[in-house]
Amino acid sequence: VMDQIRLWEYEGERIEATHGHLMKDFSSEKEYLDVLHYAESLGVLTWKSDQKRVFFVDRIEQISAYLKSKKEKK
Amino acid sequence: TPGTQYGVLIKCDASIKAIIVRIDADQNDIIVDDLDDEHLLIKEAKLAELKQRLSETLKATLREPESSNSE
Repeated sequence: VMDQIRLWEYEGERIEATHGHLMKDFSSEKEYLDVLHYAESLGVLTWKSDQKRVFFVDRIEQISAYLKSKKEKK
Repeated sequence: TPGTQYGVLIKCDASIKAIIVRIDADQNDIIVDDLDDEHLLIKEAKLAELKQRLSETLKATLREPESSNSE
């Protein structure tokens, strides 16, 4: 669904606006990388910061399902 | 499990981001998270207001007023 990213242009300045969810407060580096790679594999990753262990996705449904399934396995 | 926060990710060049931060400084109700020098997370409900105020600010700052009378 490409219409997630809306581009505005003011006086020659380009601004991208993407609706979605910021993922944060991971319990470990391992969990951060695990969910991050899953988001990348789904192609929903818009932005990430490894130092802050935070990333932004433009669709959340599959990731929420993935997190739920991991929790049930524990 | 990790926390999720719904919003609008704004990607823009640092000079535009500085303007958005100044606009937000009025009531601090637009920016949810300052992510890096080219990314911000803002409240979706505030998107329309931000777009409007940003275009006004840019029009005023970038284009020298040719005629003395303002619209």
